[in-house]
Amino acid sequence: MDYLNIANSNLMYLMVAVVIAVVFIQSVVFFILAWKRGLALGLTKRKMLDAVRSSAIFSVVPSLPILLALVAMVPVLGIPFPWLRLGVIGSAPYELLAANIGAQSMGVQGLGQSGYTAQVFINSMWIMSLGILWSPVIFLLFAKRLQTGMANMKKNDSKWLEILIASLFFGMISVFIGQPVVNGGIQLATILTSAAIMFAITAAVKKFEISWLANFSLSISMIASMALAIFYSRIM
Amino acid sequence: MSMKIIESEYNKKIHFAGRLTAVLVILMLISVPAIVCLHYNIFPTMSGFLKGLAMVWMIYLPICIAEVLTYTPMVGISGAYLSFISGNLSNLKIPCAAMAMDNAGVKGSTDEGDVIATLSIATSTIVTEIIIVIGVIALVPLTPVLTSKILEPAFQNILPALFGALGVYWIMRQWKLAVTPLAFVILVSILVPMFTGKSIPAGLLIPVSGLLAVLAARFMYNRGWVVNAGNE
Repeated sequence: MDYLNIANSNLMYLMVAVVIAVVFIQSVVFFILAWKRGLALGLTKRKMLDAVRSSAIFSVVPSLPILLALVAMVPVLGIPFPWLRLGVIGSAPYELLAANIGAQSMGVQGLGQSGYTAQVFINSMWIMSLGILWSPVIFLLFAKRLQTGMANMKKNDSKWLEILIASLFFGMISVFIGQPVVNGGIQLATILTSAAIMFAITAAVKKFEISWLANFSLSISMIASMALAIFYSRIM
Repeated sequence: MSMKIIESEYNKKIHFAGRLTAVLVILMLISVPAIVCLHYNIFPTMSGFLKGLAMVWMIYLPICIAEVLTYTPMVGISGAYLSFISGNLSNLKIPCAAMAMDNAGVKGSTDEGDVIATLSIATSTIVTEIIIVIGVIALVPLTPVLTSKILEPAFQNILPALFGALGVYWIMRQWKLAVTPLAFVILVSILVPMFTGKSIPAGLLIPVSGLLAVLAARFMYNRGWVVNAGNE
């Protein structure tokens, strides 16, 4: 039996749809809980709606590479399983790595290579599913302790907790800033363009007091600099 | 104070809903390959399965531990329940929540910040899941658009486009916190490929860079060089 018949079976579609539905419901439940909590804390509906609107708009563009990964994975893994994997924990590079390791550990050269039978496909599924399950498992085990730890830190020195959180954030963004800067070329041009646009918008927001624009500054800078990346690729 | 936070009604609900849904999703993720095995009566060889699992866990167990420690403070506890299930933290959830909190004028370590971060991450997750469903349904018509040569440079540069804007916004606020991790990343990004011919994956670099940023911040904080997180 061709493994793609299994990969694209109704059973697979059904299972994947159920899991994604639960992930969806989880977000809806948390949204409702947070919304009520926000009202109880005295946050205005306006403020919360602004956060929701800007988050929704921002999330569109960074989700597009996920579709690109889907397009790349479908020919070798069928439609439903990549849909599941990209809709939950993990990322495209992880999924491809895990799928390949799943194939190689069964003695096949790689994904979709000769000898990639149903049995090998199923091994890829197992490795992809279990490989990165640690993040939610570890978080579940330590959630309360992490919360107590942060609460204690806040009690002792709330300024330091804020600085600590900001430092972790700077540590993360430094990786995504430093690498393109070193790589140079179009990547460097794009990152500088994006920074310049953001700088201009932020200055305009302050100077002309157009606070609604702040909600979209990140999306605008991103899309404009991506468009200019196309232009740079033509001239560089 | 800490007891009050831990025992609040909202907090109890978040932990209950978070645990229930996360455990459910984890069990379902395991049951997908299990059901396929049982339904088709096809099982991987034990050695192939264990060898593959050992290889992936060797790489990802340390990364997962580091991710939980690095990302949880940034997204908050309720945001973390969502983020560690739906993924895409560094490129979606964290930038999204950071900007939403800043625009709302709330801080990450407060109750209000937690609410805004949760609303932001829940919204982001819903949008991403809808886009993937659209992608699945419209895969055939979308493929030529997504893979078109014209759009290729735009998609290839999505991370520089995101982090250029995000970077300048936050570095203007508190550049002192950015100096150490940025210098470190630039240095290893130049040196490591020079000597090994390979670049370091972001997933490995983020926890190290985060740790260095925290150590440098503590040093500057103790000396009074840094007095706030830049969100005053």
